[in-house]
Amino acid sequence: MGRVLLVYRLAARDLRRHAAQSVLLLLVITATSATLTLGLAMHTVTTSPWNRTFAATDGPDIVAQSFPPPPRPDGSVPQSATQKTNILNAMAALTHTPGVTESSGPFPTASPVLRVHGTTAPVMAEGRDPARAGIDTPELTAGTWVRPGGVVLQRSLADALGAGPGDRVTLGGRPFLVDGVAVTAAQGELWVPGLVWVTRAAAVSLATRAHPLSYVLNLRLADPASAPAFADTHSRAIGTGALGLTPWQQVQSSDTRVATVVQIVLLMGSWLLGLLALASVAVLVGGRMADQTRRVGLLKAVGGTPGLAAGVLLAEHLALALVAAALGLAVGWLAAPLLTGPGNALLGTASSPSLTVSTVLLVAAVAVAVAGIATLVPAIRAARASTIRALNNPARPPRRRGTLIAISTRLPVPLLLGLRLAARRPRRAILTAATLVISVATVTAALITRYSFEVQNQQQGGTGSLPGLLNRPLQGQVNQVVLVLGMIMVALAAINAIFITQATVLDARRPSALARALGATPRQVSAGLSTAQLLPALVAGLAGLPVGMVLVKLAVGLGGGNASGVTTPPVWWLIAVVAGTLVAVAGLTAIPARLGARLPAATVLAAE
Amino acid sequence: MQEVVLALLAKEPSHGYQLRGRLQEALGPLGDAMNAGQIYVTLTRLEKAGLVTAERVAGQADRPDRKVYALTPDGQQRVADWLAEVSWPKPAPVEFHLKLFAAATARLADPVGIVDAQRRALLLALRDAQRAALAEPDGSEAGLLLEGVVLRLQADLRWLEECERYWTSRKG
Amino acid sequence: MENTAVLRARALSRKYGQDAALVRAVDEVDLDVTPGESVAIVGPSGCGKSTLLHLLGGLERPTGGELWLAGQRIDQMGESALARLRRHAVGFVFQAFHLVDELTAAENVELPALLAGASPRAARRRAAELLEQIGLADRARHLPSALSGGQRQRVAIARALVGEPLVVLADEPTGNLDSGATIEVLRLFDGLREAGQTLVTVTHDSRIAATADRLISMRDGAFVDETRLTGGSTGSLGALAGLEG
Repeated sequence: MGRVLLVYRLAARDLRRHAAQSVLLLLVITATSATLTLGLAMHTVTTSPWNRTFAATDGPDIVAQSFPPPPRPDGSVPQSATQKTNILNAMAALTHTPGVTESSGPFPTASPVLRVHGTTAPVMAEGRDPARAGIDTPELTAGTWVRPGGVVLQRSLADALGAGPGDRVTLGGRPFLVDGVAVTAAQGELWVPGLVWVTRAAAVSLATRAHPLSYVLNLRLADPASAPAFADTHSRAIGTGALGLTPWQQVQSSDTRVATVVQIVLLMGSWLLGLLALASVAVLVGGRMADQTRRVGLLKAVGGTPGLAAGVLLAEHLALALVAAALGLAVGWLAAPLLTGPGNALLGTASSPSLTVSTVLLVAAVAVAVAGIATLVPAIRAARASTIRALNNPARPPRRRGTLIAISTRLPVPLLLGLRLAARRPRRAILTAATLVISVATVTAALITRYSFEVQNQQQGGTGSLPGLLNRPLQGQVNQVVLVLGMIMVALAAINAIFITQATVLDARRPSALARALGATPRQVSAGLSTAQLLPALVAGLAGLPVGMVLVKLAVGLGGGNASGVTTPPVWWLIAVVAGTLVAVAGLTAIPARLGARLPAATVLAAE
Repeated sequence: MQEVVLALLAKEPSHGYQLRGRLQEALGPLGDAMNAGQIYVTLTRLEKAGLVTAERVAGQADRPDRKVYALTPDGQQRVADWLAEVSWPKPAPVEFHLKLFAAATARLADPVGIVDAQRRALLLALRDAQRAALAEPDGSEAGLLLEGVVLRLQADLRWLEECERYWTSRKG
Repeated sequence: MENTAVLRARALSRKYGQDAALVRAVDEVDLDVTPGESVAIVGPSGCGKSTLLHLLGGLERPTGGELWLAGQRIDQMGESALARLRRHAVGFVFQAFHLVDELTAAENVELPALLAGASPRAARRRAAELLEQIGLADRARHLPSALSGGQRQRVAIARALVGEPLVVLADEPTGNLDSGATIEVLRLFDGLREAGQTLVTVTHDSRIAATADRLISMRDGAFVDETRLTGGSTGSLGALAGLEG
């Protein structure tokens, strides 16, 4: 009992004594946990919207669509009554094919241009009956079903165009009133042209010579899994036109991909944050190693077993990790509706994602792993070191690096000091560089993503085009998530930089006091202390750019997209990133560095 | 000793036993071993030298311990001179140093052995002085004196360590 | 002999490095310490006396020889077993005090008791007792940063005593103290001696050395001289006064 109390007491006091560092550790691990929670929570949501919609709307297993013959040179399309009969006969034959259990339609469809609020978009207008029954009964999310003179919009289209019930639109130049907004499982949310429903009569009247009337037929199969094979078998030419069949799997994967992209970004983000957290924790723990080693030695000297001594060190950090995991879970759970809530058109009206036991366990495990890995090695080393060495010489003496010392003699004083200071603790320099690489890579990825989206939009016809509009919410989401991730990483890296400088200043008190006693000015010394951080920052900045590109391509690849759509932003953007990093690091490290450079040299040297 | 007694008489004439009391107060345990008769012997010598006068107290026998002693002008001058002196006991331990050399050159004894014996003696003295010093209340004059004893013994012991090192290397 | 000696070392050695760079910090030392004895080990800096003390307390592993503490052979013991043995057999006092900065004086003193598994209440009670004994009861809730050097060392001594150790090992206990603080510690050590506590002190302060029963001189890792300081003083203190003539 006494031992438990002791461990608790030592851990609690130590955390309180280094409150700022403890808070930073907490922040870092909380951020990781929150992102991971979001990513995992998304998982329960990604396939639900479409599935839910499919179930609610009695979705079709097969959508059969007729395509008109190619246009003549003058733009008009040959229409013949036989063509129409052939199509309708083919569709009737389809409904009687073995394996088909139900059907709805055929519904006449036209391809007018929709115009609303100054924006135009090509749409497919499906003619429906006022009575809603049978396969593919779109579910209204607002307003009412079609009435004469009215049109119902697919939800993603409505969001892209900013239109809702009561708005006045024109279809094919004729005025219509928006009756409602609905979702369907028959067409993908991002598919072009967008889908609207009108009355049968309206659809027929909207047909033009350039875009003659087509038909759509919905089928239910006895064996839904066989839909792709069915679609392959029965898609065929009809006269000079064609009959194309789309299986439900295609729609599902298209819609799912939307949510998957965001989830991929989140999961990658949480991996990166995890690595950043690991590096940060390692640096923070490493910075206090001398202190901790001394304490371990002391506990062993007064009768504590090595296990207990190391245990105190681990207990502190694991406790922090668990608290951070809990906080992260809470933050993630609260933030999840922002991404998946009813207000979010793309990702459906699924209810707020629940925290499953496996999510909780996984997040806790990751948090504990991050803290544990970073602390384990120092703890074991401290426990195994000879007790008396731990007490009297807790800090590992820096190793001499002859070549670096030789090189640095040719450099100006600040660089000389900076290089030697950085070389004293190579592990710290590497970890600093690692944290900065991750941050720079994320910022670069954010820039690349934004730029690629802009280019993509331009290629697809500018902001006014429908594909651009439909993509906008997704792009917005992705941009938002990547931006937030980038900001979190930058913030953490910034705080890290300050702490690392602080640790370096403390560690370098004696050599820098010595340098000043031997003639270096305080400004040179503080420049040297800053340089010790800037060197890893420069390496990180340059390395972060290609890593950022790799990240974006990886994300796109995982999402099943086309990597060629990723474009590199202009060079000056990238230079700005590196320069910005250096300026930021210099600025952040300046204050502790200046303070450290002004300590009276005599005090420092005398204290040894 | 003579100047000490003279200085003690500077404030006012006193009996012999009063002087003894004051001395003991100032010396503490170091004064315990002081011979009672020493004060009187010194006073008699001083009287003979004309530095103090002795007055018989009326109605008392002509014994030294019943007389009242006082400073003469010569005596006062002597005290003033003594107070102004800055002499100090000689710091050089010449006698012991020569003792070691004699022992070594004449091969009469092992210098290291002599050093060790002396060390032991000084350590015991240090121990006693230290004990006495700890027993004194804070701020006592005797305590201050004892602290002086301790510090000088410490210094002497440090030198003896050097002697030991020197003579051991000379041997080997 | 084996049953009565608290500490017994035979040909104890500690070497560092090898070949040309071989350093014999402790070179074949024999030592017996009987209960109640107070031993002081003196010598020039670098003579290995601190290393010897660390070996005696199990804080460092010898490279040769045998060592018995409280009747148990400890030179080959594992770290955990050593730690457990240390709890009740050894109390260590360091030159640099080595108190835990974020614990109060009372919490520092009760640390070894808690490590040994005592209940918090029993440990606190014993710590209060000891702080009372050393005269620092009013400082029980102060942090080390609020204590003077002498007070810190006294707290460290109290900590060494909390497990009622068989032997207290002190490594230059007054090394970092001014003369006033040294006197405080001297007083404590005197008290411990009188109470019969076995004490082994490494020091180059002759004041501390003068308080011991046995004085061992060390040079280059080996014992070169031993003096017994028990029994008799040089006579009266008056002889020191030199008040003849």
